[in-house]
Amino acid sequence: MTYRHRLLSARVSISILAVATILVMAAPALAATVDIAVGAPDKVLVGQDVEVKAVLSEDGVPIEGAEVALTYQASLGGESTRVEIATGTTDETGTAVMFYEQRADDNGEMQVTYLGPGTNPVSPYVFTIAVEPGGEQLYRSESGVEIPFVNGTLVILLITGVWSLIALAAVYLVRVGREGRLEEVLSADDGSVWISVLLAIVAVITAIGMVIVFVRVPVLNTDLTDPEVYDRTQIAYIGATYPYQGFGLDEEPSAQSGDPAFDGGKVYFGYGCAACHGVLGQGAVVGPTLEDEIGSLAQFIDDIREGPRDMPAYGEATLTEADIEKIYRFLDEGG
Amino acid sequence: MDTVTNWRERLISKTTRPTRVTTYKYWLWLGFLILITGNGAFQYWKQWQDGLYVTDMRDRISWGLYISMFIFFTGVSMAGTVISAMLRAANAQWRASITRVAEFITAFALMIGAGFIIVDMGRPERIFNVYIHGRWQSPIMWDVMAITTYLTASLIYLYAPMIPDLALYRDRLAGKVGAVRSFIYRTLALDWKGSPTQFKLLGKAITIMTLIIIPIAVSVHSVVSWIFGMTLRVGWNTAIFGILFVAGAVFSGLATLIIIMAVLRKTYHWEEYITERQFKYLGYMLASLALFMIYINVSEYLTAGFKFEEGSEFAFRQLFLEEFSGMFSFYIIFGLVVPVAIVLIPKTRTIGGIVVAAVLVNLAMFIERYFLVVTGLRVPLMPYEPASYSPNFVEWSIAASGVAMFCLLLTVTVKIFPMFAVWEMTEEHDAAMALTQAEETLMHEAAIAGPRLSTEVSPDSGRPAEGGAS
Repeated sequence: MTYRHRLLSARVSISILAVATILVMAAPALAATVDIAVGAPDKVLVGQDVEVKAVLSEDGVPIEGAEVALTYQASLGGESTRVEIATGTTDETGTAVMFYEQRADDNGEMQVTYLGPGTNPVSPYVFTIAVEPGGEQLYRSESGVEIPFVNGTLVILLITGVWSLIALAAVYLVRVGREGRLEEVLSADDGSVWISVLLAIVAVITAIGMVIVFVRVPVLNTDLTDPEVYDRTQIAYIGATYPYQGFGLDEEPSAQSGDPAFDGGKVYFGYGCAACHGVLGQGAVVGPTLEDEIGSLAQFIDDIREGPRDMPAYGEATLTEADIEKIYRFLDEGG
Repeated sequence: MDTVTNWRERLISKTTRPTRVTTYKYWLWLGFLILITGNGAFQYWKQWQDGLYVTDMRDRISWGLYISMFIFFTGVSMAGTVISAMLRAANAQWRASITRVAEFITAFALMIGAGFIIVDMGRPERIFNVYIHGRWQSPIMWDVMAITTYLTASLIYLYAPMIPDLALYRDRLAGKVGAVRSFIYRTLALDWKGSPTQFKLLGKAITIMTLIIIPIAVSVHSVVSWIFGMTLRVGWNTAIFGILFVAGAVFSGLATLIIIMAVLRKTYHWEEYITERQFKYLGYMLASLALFMIYINVSEYLTAGFKFEEGSEFAFRQLFLEEFSGMFSFYIIFGLVVPVAIVLIPKTRTIGGIVVAAVLVNLAMFIERYFLVVTGLRVPLMPYEPASYSPNFVEWSIAASGVAMFCLLLTVTVKIFPMFAVWEMTEEHDAAMALTQAEETLMHEAAIAGPRLSTEVSPDSGRPAEGGAS
């Protein structure tokens, strides 16, 4: 044992001795204990104002002017800690009334703690207040803020304005060309207006086209105020299980057309074969070609079950033999 | 002193010189550019066949050199707008000889820049889906809109003031150039006769374009920055990006203009028209922008560094101390501080010095675009190892071919289109001559009227006497 270890163990022994001494000396004081009684609702809703009453007495006599605190067990991100949410002072009847606003959806273990003026430790009163589902959050951030006049229409007006000005400039250029022709009719063949007319037409068409493109599908393109448009992504929760929405794993019937090659194509895409082996099985950077070296059906099934080289293996539970045969037919017919 | 006509004739002869005379050096240069462009085209063909896999961009760092080139070139395209439109709107009297070059730079840089977006696409044939299925909620959509508008507007803005010069070429070069060029001049000159009505209509078109092209250009560079600024990534998540990109765009646009002006001046002996005065004024603009860029950088890194939110530590470490510290310090020292010093010290404030400053600025701005893109993507969003990225040969080849194609477009353009706004320069020259004439007349009268009036005209008592003597 090193010197350091010996020093450490000596310190620990001394600490234990000190604590023990304090406990022994405090024993008489603990005997004459302060009693805490608490009156609180059993159930509350989020957002509700809650009243908690604590009555303090010492050997049946109410304590006046005692400080108490109300705490709950807060947990966030795996960390759990005790948080004080209200304090109160007892009146002549020994009653302290505390208020708090319910914010957490779970209070955990609640406690009323005696803070003083006495210095003797008093064990806190432990109770629970269940939080019922429902209620109202204090503040919930919406997906957007609607500001009057700041919307897609404004954007379209702006773009239309800019493109109209561009078109106007082009029209002036057309007039420049026309002016030249009017002045000298004789030399009509040494110049032309068509380029400027073309320019103006292109500018005007683009101006109108730009607007049409963006007005065409209002919900998709310009309606920035409709929150329905935003909620395209489903909100998922960690740990929850959701069915796969795409084709392949939960939509078997769509690959039951009766044409094995056609169904094979669907299965081929549905299980992501195309990601490595190319859309027609022609091979790509990661997966080799399946066109020529496909071999027999039995060999093909074996390969898929085993997963040659770095390819993942597909067991019976994932890909049935019938499905593999469909893929085989699909590839056999040249993808 | 030259008469106005002599001056104009000499200007026309100097301007049309590239269309009449072509040396072997030109063909060498052209061949060199075609070689580089060809290599890029070949590499792009490979990318087209195998997909973006042939680049070094992967899932975590999915934007690299291509997007940096896109930002850089759209930035360079700011040149035409700033020089041409701002100076035209401000009626600056020294701009006429450099506006045309600036406008060409705008149009070509924008084409190349937009091209890099397509190069960065894995499925370029789907570009039109952006128009068909585009959603306004996406900043990419804003970009497409802004760039389409800017390209159209800048082409008209380039074309409109060129009409009188094209007419000049049509008349002067008839029979001296081939059928193709004659056709181009005849077609594009729009029957220009130089009548007052035509000047009035043309003036209206130019005024409209001058006024709308400045906000359009600002919108383009803001929207390019918003592609980054609208994300929640550390390093990009800042409102200053719009200003940083617009200022940076003007900055690199100016630098590119200075370089190209210097090259053209030397190649075609245009010293009389592109003088030290233009370089100095552009140099002053460059220096003031560099100071502004320094301010933006201090403001950005101080606000972000003071608060040091989650992820900033990584972003600052890679930028100031580790992987990108070399690039970052080059950008700050040689891209921002040194150019200011070059312009401010009278000894280095020469054409050569300003060109050196411009080259440094362009290099630094390219590097800045690169590290902004890559460092932003490098900051891990989840506890995984930070990815690394460096462009490979394919990417460098295509990037180089972008630069080569830009030079190629300018090289060919010099041989076809008037690089000087002859009519605007003549107007400017006339105004200057008239001013000198008026001054001389005034001096003369002052000398006759005697000393009492001369002190009112000019506090310099020596000048009236000289004027009187002439």
